[in-house]
Amino acid sequence: MGLIAIGAALAIGLATIGPGIGQGIAAAKGLEGMARQPEAAGMLRTNMILSFAFMESLSIYGLLVAFLLFAKI
Amino acid sequence: MIEALNSMGISNGMITSTAITIILCVLSIIAGRRLQMVPSGLQNVAEWAIGSLYHFFEDIMGQKACRSYFPLVGTLFIYILFANYSGLLPGAGHISGIAAPTSSINCTMAMAIIVFVAMQVIGIREHHGFSYYKHLLRPFAFLLPLMILEDLVKPVSLTLRLYGNVFGEETVTSSFFDLIPIGLPVIMQFLSVLMGLVQALVFSLLAAIYIKESLPEEEEHL
Repeated sequence: MGLIAIGAALAIGLATIGPGIGQGIAAAKGLEGMARQPEAAGMLRTNMILSFAFMESLSIYGLLVAFLLFAKI
Repeated sequence: MIEALNSMGISNGMITSTAITIILCVLSIIAGRRLQMVPSGLQNVAEWAIGSLYHFFEDIMGQKACRSYFPLVGTLFIYILFANYSGLLPGAGHISGIAAPTSSINCTMAMAIIVFVAMQVIGIREHHGFSYYKHLLRPFAFLLPLMILEDLVKPVSLTLRLYGNVFGEETVTSSFFDLIPIGLPVIMQFLSVLMGLVQALVFSLLAAIYIKESLPEEEEHL
């Protein structure tokens, strides 16, 4: 039971590391592009949100696994 | 009455989703009942909302595809937006009869399956036959299993993204409420206002992109 709790914590904890770093890089580059070319800001914003969604879905999978494990305790 | 519906196996999410559908239908009928050249009141609001949504999808799908398939993706956006925000109603999830429909995996999977079927139907129709499935062989023929898997993963990821976000956000809010009942849940509620919009946008955006991908290539630069 204790192991399940640790597993659930690890599932969400580890699943947020990668997307966190990835979203940071994507946001930095996206803002850089918007600052350099403000006329392309609309298109960049749409694509940035879209790529955020893809990255965020990875940590959402981790969250779901954590919930699944949490229900077993 | 709600208890009777619940005992028949109709969940709170379904009741809310039906209510949202009826509200949206009634609003649309009222807004479109007496159309005027110079719009005012509800017609003005509806025209502004639909117009900006249309221009948003036009940028992504292209003029011709947007004209044909905007009704599907636009409806998905509006419905998911209202469904996400219905979870913010006071007592949602605790009072019987009100619960965010998208916090149940059944609702999101149904919408993802609609998008998946639409992809296939639109692909076959626009290619005038089953030549649509040639795209599975395009880079290399031996990648066929991988390409089929990629197509099948699309509805699954659509389902899990929306469900996970809404369900996760609600669970986190309720556990924050258990920690400190005053103040702390408000932060998550504010975030969930933002998240509801972004997730509705992302779901319909991905649906639009998937539909655009299933169109024949020569129409892309129209």
